[in-house]
Amino acid sequence: MTAREEPAVPAGPASLAPPEGAATAAAIGGPRRQGSYSLAARDRRFGYGLVAPAVIVLLAITAFPLVYNVWISFHNAWYLFPTTFSNFAGVKNYKELFTGGQFLPSLYRTLGFTVVSVAVELVIGLALALALNRKFRGRGIVRAAILIPWAVPTVVSGLLWKSMFDPQNGFVNYILTQLHLPLAHSTWLSQTWTSWAAILIADAWRNTPFMALLLLAGLQVIPRDVYEAAKIDGAGAIRTFRQITLPMLKPALAVALIFRTLSSFLIFDVIYAMTGGGPGNSTQVLAYLNWSSMFVQGGNYGLGAAISVALMVMSLVIAAIYVTSFRTEQVV
Amino acid sequence: MHMWPTSTNRRAVAAISVAGLVAVGLAACGSSAPTASSQVPLSAKQTVVFATQGLGSEGTATMSAVKAFEKLHPNITVQILSLSPTSDVAFEQLTQRFTAGSSTPDVITSDVIWPAQFAQSGWLANLVKFHPDTSAYFTGQMATGQYKGGVYAIPWFINAEGLYYRTDLIKTPPTTAAALFGDAVAAMKTDHALKEGLAFEGDKYEGAVTAFQSMGGQLTPSALTNINTPANDGVLTMMYDAIHKYHIAPTAVSTWEESQVQNAWLSGQTPFALNWPYIFALSDAKGCQPGCSAVFGKTGWVPFPNPTGAPQASLGGDDLAVNARSTHQAAAWAFIQYLSSASAQIARAVAAGDPPSVKSAYGSQLYAAAPYFQQEQAVFNAATPRPVSPVYTQISSQLQAMITSVLSGSSTPSAALSSTGPTITQLLQTVSSGG
Repeated sequence: MTAREEPAVPAGPASLAPPEGAATAAAIGGPRRQGSYSLAARDRRFGYGLVAPAVIVLLAITAFPLVYNVWISFHNAWYLFPTTFSNFAGVKNYKELFTGGQFLPSLYRTLGFTVVSVAVELVIGLALALALNRKFRGRGIVRAAILIPWAVPTVVSGLLWKSMFDPQNGFVNYILTQLHLPLAHSTWLSQTWTSWAAILIADAWRNTPFMALLLLAGLQVIPRDVYEAAKIDGAGAIRTFRQITLPMLKPALAVALIFRTLSSFLIFDVIYAMTGGGPGNSTQVLAYLNWSSMFVQGGNYGLGAAISVALMVMSLVIAAIYVTSFRTEQVV
Repeated sequence: MHMWPTSTNRRAVAAISVAGLVAVGLAACGSSAPTASSQVPLSAKQTVVFATQGLGSEGTATMSAVKAFEKLHPNITVQILSLSPTSDVAFEQLTQRFTAGSSTPDVITSDVIWPAQFAQSGWLANLVKFHPDTSAYFTGQMATGQYKGGVYAIPWFINAEGLYYRTDLIKTPPTTAAALFGDAVAAMKTDHALKEGLAFEGDKYEGAVTAFQSMGGQLTPSALTNINTPANDGVLTMMYDAIHKYHIAPTAVSTWEESQVQNAWLSGQTPFALNWPYIFALSDAKGCQPGCSAVFGKTGWVPFPNPTGAPQASLGGDDLAVNARSTHQAAAWAFIQYLSSASAQIARAVAAGDPPSVKSAYGSQLYAAAPYFQQEQAVFNAATPRPVSPVYTQISSQLQAMITSVLSGSSTPSAALSSTGPTITQLLQTVSSGG
């Protein structure tokens, strides 16, 4: 119910109505009685008052920590040294990223994992989405069932996969042995490359359904008649896919890729649960390094904050690359 | 009937909601810690908050100790603040409270590797003012609470890692590493129920470091300044050989933690296992569960033979410490004194299997209730602390990466030592130079 329909509201003092408020009200609703202008302005002001608590909370829990984190990254904030705590440190923490010997290797690992995992999840997810977009009996049940891995908490799925990859009691080696396949005697989480394979499988198992779901939503909004026209024109399945499905799926693809790339780039829980960054540091990724330098390795908050800022900047760059590349292609 | 409040009311509503938020914010900021001058005297009615880990029988033992203490001091109530049973998580929970400047918990249970770091950060009260009797405890563990001339933690119960052996398969416990390997290989040949010859924890966590140290790895403060020594190389090579050369340890040990070693031992699939004293209570206690029938009455425990020197059992266990910002330090100290007394420790040892840290507890009263503590003393006498350093968790993180990279075969012992050495040296320099 709007104030206009409520005649019982008394008009407040005229000074309460600022000129811009009156102008807006006029622009939106056309000419009104004098009382409505001030009423609209007061409504708006009341509206601000009502959203203010929410805005303040949001600022307090998002904007403030963000700014504070940037501030910390330029200061000494290692609690082992109470006397120099919160002294200005300049770019010391950022320098340490490059001289400390852990940041760059972790960055390369993270980027490598992101590219591979997103590519794998995209291909499988797209195939799943195309399959689920066809009509078949029990489609509703299959669509619901495919989401089950995604509904499992990440740490739980990480621990689940860790036990499945257990060389003695695990399900993976059991199946491989039964089928007389190679790698049946692998100790998956004891070697660098098999660890990565295990992490990739666990991550793809959980996140591919999400990718498939987003792409399926994109497929469903493509109008049927475009396909019918293509059929009449004699286009084959591959040509239809390349020239109709893919271009029209682009918005959904963009969303799915941005989501998955960023969450792959920030992967933490699966690695925390499965390998703890090991063996050695061979599966240590940036988010893991960030957490461990802040909370495990003696609480160097300054260094941890610098890693956080670096992660944030890189995430923004990745998002910007996606947004601009998808936008320009759409114009063409 | 007014659907909307009047304009005055509207502004009032908005103002109240904003004011409410500000008030909440101010209240949050206003809880700054009281100064040391506002100490509550021992005789006053007060509540002491005790942050501790411990589930099952350990938790029950803590509760009965608390009740007994409250009976002795009717004016003091002890409130338990449960910490995560996972050591790393408990560490995070404590550091978060300390960094926030909280005056509670008043008393904390601290892993032996934490007091130096907490003391360096100014979070623990120096207990010298209460004149603690430092000679009453095992020297190695007492050292974990002493830092820069102060006493910041009192030992609560001791833990040390030793070699379990099957008395039915191994007639005399090995005293050299070569004999251990030979016995393990021979046992695996004769008894086909054995799946491996030696079980130890090699996952990338603190356990890899204690295993390394218990096998002879040199981690004293002076040894840390140069870890690339023949002794450390020898221990890493031995760990590697156990897996890849003699095949007495499964390749999976590089993902094993205590629980996997415990399962391998209790199920009777290994003649040797490196583990902590709690195994005794599981495999050889009166209340032995059906699950331990394979090892019941066949459990022996000795220090792990060091390939290059005297045996050293990695020292674990828990200390008790007082929050520097606590306003109940006198009551906190009384509580610590009670928990670390011989009688309270014997009760805990019998009920929960936690070995006493106070030497006078080892005697007929304890042995009558739990005879296996007699065997444990030999291992405790070899107990060797991990370095008492404020950057220990970082050093450990480097050591864990070093050890697991050798176990997985991705680097040789000498390569791993020479790449880890400089990082540890740099960490130690950072501390001595004050950041």
